[in-house]
Amino acid sequence: MKTIAKSAVVLLTIMGTALAEPHTGEPAPEFTLTDSNGQSHKLSDFKGKFVVLEWLNHGCPFVVKHYGSGNMQKLQKEFTGKDVVWLSIASSAPGKQGNMTPAEANVAKEEKGSAATAVLLDADGTVGRLYNAKVTPHMFVINPEGTLIYMGAIDSVKSPDPADVANAKNYVKQALDEAMAGKPVSEPTTTPYGCGVKYAN
Amino acid sequence: MCIMLVALLAVIAAQPAEAQLYQGRKLVEASLVADTSAIVPGKPFRLGVHLKITPGWHVYWQNPGDSGIATEVGWDLPDGFSAGTLQWPLPKRIAEPGDIDVYAYKNETLLIAEITPPEIFGAESVKLRARPSWLVCEQICIPGSTELELVLPVAQTATPAHADLFAKFAAELPRTSPPPFGVHWTRTATGWNLSLAGIEAAGQADFYPYANEKAPVGHMAPVQIAGGGADLAVPVEGSPEVGGVVIVENGARRGWIVSSKQNTELAAPAKKSAPRGLLGYLLLGLVGGFILNLMPCVLPVISLKIFGFMRQAGDSRAQILQHGLAFAAGIFVWFLGLAAVIVALKSAGHEVTWAFQFQNPWFNFVIGAVIFVFALNLFGVFEIVLPGRATQGISEAGSHGGLGGSFAQGVLATLLATPCTAPFLGTALGFAFSQSAAVIFAVFAAVAAGMALPYVLLSAQPGWMKFLPKPGAWMERLKQFMGFPLIATLLWLLCVIGQQRGTDAVIWAGASYLFVGLAAWLYGAFLGPLSSARAKTLATAGIAISLFLGLGYFAGNLFARSAAASPGKKSSTPAEGMPWVPYSEAELQRLLAEGKSVFVDFTADWCITCKFNMRTAIDTPAVRAAFAKLGIVPMLADWTNSNPEITRKLAQFERVGVPFYLFYAPGRANDPVVLPELLTEQIVLRTIGAQP
Repeated sequence: MKTIAKSAVVLLTIMGTALAEPHTGEPAPEFTLTDSNGQSHKLSDFKGKFVVLEWLNHGCPFVVKHYGSGNMQKLQKEFTGKDVVWLSIASSAPGKQGNMTPAEANVAKEEKGSAATAVLLDADGTVGRLYNAKVTPHMFVINPEGTLIYMGAIDSVKSPDPADVANAKNYVKQALDEAMAGKPVSEPTTTPYGCGVKYAN
Repeated sequence: MCIMLVALLAVIAAQPAEAQLYQGRKLVEASLVADTSAIVPGKPFRLGVHLKITPGWHVYWQNPGDSGIATEVGWDLPDGFSAGTLQWPLPKRIAEPGDIDVYAYKNETLLIAEITPPEIFGAESVKLRARPSWLVCEQICIPGSTELELVLPVAQTATPAHADLFAKFAAELPRTSPPPFGVHWTRTATGWNLSLAGIEAAGQADFYPYANEKAPVGHMAPVQIAGGGADLAVPVEGSPEVGGVVIVENGARRGWIVSSKQNTELAAPAKKSAPRGLLGYLLLGLVGGFILNLMPCVLPVISLKIFGFMRQAGDSRAQILQHGLAFAAGIFVWFLGLAAVIVALKSAGHEVTWAFQFQNPWFNFVIGAVIFVFALNLFGVFEIVLPGRATQGISEAGSHGGLGGSFAQGVLATLLATPCTAPFLGTALGFAFSQSAAVIFAVFAAVAAGMALPYVLLSAQPGWMKFLPKPGAWMERLKQFMGFPLIATLLWLLCVIGQQRGTDAVIWAGASYLFVGLAAWLYGAFLGPLSSARAKTLATAGIAISLFLGLGYFAGNLFARSAAASPGKKSSTPAEGMPWVPYSEAELQRLLAEGKSVFVDFTADWCITCKFNMRTAIDTPAVRAAFAKLGIVPMLADWTNSNPEITRKLAQFERVGVPFYLFYAPGRANDPVVLPELLTEQIVLRTIGAQP
């Protein structure tokens, strides 16, 4: 009896985990969010295009590393230029680092020279938790069929030092280049690094 | 003068060169410390990067967890110096909103590395540099780094430094020794199930995984220990191999480094691969088995065997090889039988260890009877004629019966070898006991092969036996003489029985042997082919009565009751000159916590190697004096009778037998020195640092 109960708990845990976490090779969870200009975006609206999700917090040293060095903007320019939809998502709760009003988000986008398609505001953390986004920057790539094909770190050198960008392998670029060439993504999952996403308590 | 100046410089130089400020505060204060006042050429010491963290903030462990980044330490050491891997004290799990768990240090930590200086170098002082970098987080995160410098003088002797700081954090290091509980890994759909069993303490169990770049290892919640066990689900997609630290928390907090590569049980028989290191252990088993031939307990049988070979030297090559193979078969049958018993008992959940047989007085009694009968045989009281061969011609009986004898001697040789765990053998068997049945059989077969090797070689290449003396009339005398070593072995067994069950047991065992001896004499004198039928009948009746008295009355009744009459009679190895403290894990930990250094002798009365070491290398005036001078506490773990606490302690070091010696140097509570199984006074004195 005890064994059955235990098995049931294990099974439920497994199912719960499977439901809670996105997996590469499976459909990316659907969501709708409003951007800094008040416009609503639904993930399924972008079917037929590659979509990049970038978790954003301009106060985080790791985000500063990639924006300060121009690395993030360069990546955004390269791929939005190839018709990729780039969505930066801020899941910081009100009062916490990285939380932005729509106006602040637009100022930051302007100042940093971000080439993202849109900056989505997720102050209640719903979409962040849906994607199990842990850090900024946590990166996700979705293919035109709506399948998640990459999730994890932006690159291979875990440090806050901008000088390391040059020596790092950029996993997002690798995933997009491979998928656009019709090849399977060689490293579909990596361990992300960065500051924790500042969710509401 | 110079040294003083350098020491002064050391204090000044150890200041941080640079630090990050946040709202005017320095969030992390880093310093570089050594556990020694000076560098002694060739003598390893420890360097620690001491991080003091502003309350409320934290820096990260080697796996930061869901967010953050591992603290790093780069070393800049002079030529010839080498740094060991960074040792990380146990971090704390910190849960943040959004199901983000991190492994981090609050308030302070000490990241330690062992530094080995070269054997020879000329400098008067040495400059050591460390470059730690970290991410310090509270609500927000700020990266930091600095360069630290420490100048130490070079000297021939040194005194400990920062002992309290190193002791405090060394106690928080996870242990690299196997945990004192079972660890079983099973692959699941979502990662691994890490199942712990046989934990003594109540409390919580937890697992902090190491990071894996290609497959993020998720976190789990700590689990309450129930019935000595706990199941931890380690989420990692695709179930790649994982390593990490198992933590048991019950007031005290202890960690052990584990890996799914060890004690792995696959959920489904999907993958099959030879356990890592199996070949090495088989080789060790082989070498250990060979060395068993040279151990004191086997010596009587060796002489028996040499005698046997000499007798066979006149026979045909084929027959000699047959004898060698029969002897080898005896060895194999014994070891594989032993393996079968161990596998059976292991699966029944008993604690079974090498030489466990000698902890059972009944086992000792029966072996004593067998040895006594063998001795009588050598003295010429009776001849062994195997059943079924007795009616056949004498020549035929000689050759075939001889094969049976060789087989029996093979069994006896191995039986007597078990109490002396030869070097190597301990390791191989320690490994075997944590393994599957197939591996246990393989390792025991390797040991058997090692032990049988010289006999098979000699019988296959009888040419080599030309170095042995020619057969002659002296052989009969020699055979008789060889009964005496067997009697000596019997005395030893009686001595063990006496320590286990008291004097009465020895007397009743002796009486029992007396009647067994009488039965053997009756058999030899009156059951030969030349005796009359009447004599045979009477002798058979006499044998039956003798055996009834010997085995039934004296052994089955009086010997058995002597055991009951002295319940729990604990043998304590005579104190001799050394002021031994009896071993208990609690007492050991208490002494270590007090910063004492401790020498633990794992011994048993039936272990002759242990006794030999005790007399010649441990309980000697020089070693006693050194212990007293250095304040080393001698601790005796007496395993004469079965003692689960000692068995577990041995298992921690992958040992299943004695002799075994541990030396805990001051401040090295987690990192004892394991001494060899054959000791000399010099080895002991060197290990404890009383001799260079």
